[in-house]
Amino acid sequence: MTKKEVAEYGVYEVFIQKSYTDPHIHVGSLVAPTSELAMQWARENFLRRDSAVSLWVVQREHIDQTSTDFLARELDRKYREVRGYTENGRLWRMFKEKTLTIEEIVAAVEEKNRNLKSKNKK
Amino acid sequence: MNQEEMFMKRIKQGEKIEATDWMPDEYRQLLIKLIHMHAVSEIMGAYPEKEWVPKAPSLRRKLAIMAKVQDEMGHGQLLLRIVEDLVYPLGKKREDLIEDIYYHRVKFHNVFHMEARTWADAGLIGWLVDGAAIINQAALLSTSYGPYARVLKRICAEESFHMQHGENIILTLAMGTAKQKQMLQDSLNYWWESLLFFFGPKEVTPAAERMIHYRIRTLTNEQLRQKFFDKYIPRIHSIGLTIPDPHLKYDTEKKCWVYTEPDWKKFSEIVKKNNGPKSRERIELRRQAHEGGRWVRQAMLCKPVG
Amino acid sequence: MKVANAKQAQEDQDYHRVLCEFLFQLADDELTLGHRDSEWLGLSPDIEGDVAFSSIAQDEVGHAVFYFDLLHELGEKNPDQLAFARPLTERRNATLLERENGDFAYSIVRHYLYDVFDSCRLEAIEQSSYQPLAQGAIKIRREEYYHRLHMSAYLNRLGQAGGEAKKRLEKAIHDIWPEIGGLFCWGEYENKLFEYGIISISVKELQERWIMQVKSTLLKAGLPWPGDWPKVKRDGRKGEHSPDLAKLLSTMSEVYQSDPSARW
Repeated sequence: MTKKEVAEYGVYEVFIQKSYTDPHIHVGSLVAPTSELAMQWARENFLRRDSAVSLWVVQREHIDQTSTDFLARELDRKYREVRGYTENGRLWRMFKEKTLTIEEIVAAVEEKNRNLKSKNKK
Repeated sequence: MNQEEMFMKRIKQGEKIEATDWMPDEYRQLLIKLIHMHAVSEIMGAYPEKEWVPKAPSLRRKLAIMAKVQDEMGHGQLLLRIVEDLVYPLGKKREDLIEDIYYHRVKFHNVFHMEARTWADAGLIGWLVDGAAIINQAALLSTSYGPYARVLKRICAEESFHMQHGENIILTLAMGTAKQKQMLQDSLNYWWESLLFFFGPKEVTPAAERMIHYRIRTLTNEQLRQKFFDKYIPRIHSIGLTIPDPHLKYDTEKKCWVYTEPDWKKFSEIVKKNNGPKSRERIELRRQAHEGGRWVRQAMLCKPVG
Repeated sequence: MKVANAKQAQEDQDYHRVLCEFLFQLADDELTLGHRDSEWLGLSPDIEGDVAFSSIAQDEVGHAVFYFDLLHELGEKNPDQLAFARPLTERRNATLLERENGDFAYSIVRHYLYDVFDSCRLEAIEQSSYQPLAQGAIKIRREEYYHRLHMSAYLNRLGQAGGEAKKRLEKAIHDIWPEIGGLFCWGEYENKLFEYGIISISVKELQERWIMQVKSTLLKAGLPWPGDWPKVKRDGRKGEHSPDLAKLLSTMSEVYQSDPSARW
């Protein structure tokens, strides 16, 4: 085998998932002779300290990448975002109420769950 | 607006440039030069401390210095990957980037050409050489090249462990026996000149000017050296060490440290010609590792039979 | 039989002696191999592989620390004294592990063969009568899983590649074989270890498990099974060692011995 052929280690992109409620996040890349070694090396090259629940290695050539303009969103799309509805606060005040946020609901629900759990414990 | 002007507009707006974006050749070349040297310095930087891994004087130190040297190799890996993507359009790969070391086509930091003679030297490298490197790297965090900025973020996070590790060795020696304290002072005397060399000469070279133009880096060598003095001189004094420079003082008017210029000819001799005390020996180690491991890399690529 | 802690172990002098002897074997095996592994720092065939190998080195030394800690609890000197200040004749590692690294093939083969041995041994001490050891073994075996996976990935690939790689592996196996027996000597209390339930299977049974696993890996990698091994010339478990260990110890303890009473 010639020297140039030796240089043909594949590039693998590495993704780690820190907990089951997190997505896999890209952390970098490495070169390796096989996907098996790529996986084993990725563990120590990217997770020496941090813990994780899952690790992906993907051959770079299997990733398609967008061009810059592909993601362009130039015009107003506030109609589908929270910040497009700031007037609700003013409207609710007219009815002597406050806007409800998703965070409040989540907090309220979790509070309830916590109560349920503590009741079960008892 | 032509491509070049568009590119500079992005730079001036503080945007990050990505590997797949169009970039001027000069920008690519400057990045390759800087990051290749950075990567190789990490890899060659493993050797002075590696010599002390087998001799670390306690189990905890043994583990810590292994982890530290491992991190240096890991940083080398991260940085090499950045360079590999930059040189890919030029037809170069990992193999070439490593060979460049022993064909003397890439430089590495002066400090890694020096001998680590004692355990105190190993500690001092961890404390002050890493300290200097951290200042250098922290100043690069705002670099215009996205992949480099991301890797530096991770490197800096790991360097904070190196700092603690180095300081712990030094503080232990500083509180130790008279012999240990002497060993520490001796180590500072030996390394001080190298620490001054570390940030490079005062004058801003044309290449450095271009790097600042492209916001690859934002501070000059001398600005970085002064920041290093600010942080470390008071600490060196506080543990009872004497800095081997009778002219060193803080100029309150100019708000900067005044110091005796090291011999820059010696610096060139070490870095440009690889003529430091350990240059040849360590480059040879890297050559052996790479050439000696070729049969492994070749075999690992063979498709299994059946 | 269950022994909950060091205090209980110390109440039975004979049990205590047999247990400590075994812990020294475990600790010295791991420390010696971890030290040898660390010599690969900066010298591996790949940068990525260099980083991975170093983690394995750290794991091994970390496991040694665990065993030294147990010994210290049982009344032995502190872990650093045990690691750095014991003379050669008191070292209990198998001689195979103290040998200089040789080429990458030698290091990989030795590591793989030891990893299989160690994992069989750990499995058998997960039910150890000495509770602190049993609990540690469960954790350590989970860490060793990666080592085995990594070493067998190399072994398999290099073996199947044929050519120079295969030749080197064959030579490594040839060089290692005369010392393999040292792994399966457990010193003068070999039988008592089993009787006291410090380890749950006999050395004979462990050896059979090891042979089964190694045989099938070698076969898969296209490497021959070398057959029976000779009785070892030097039994590390009895403190008989090669000049390689003398050199290793003098390097390892150089700084420590320059002032053993100092803090480093």
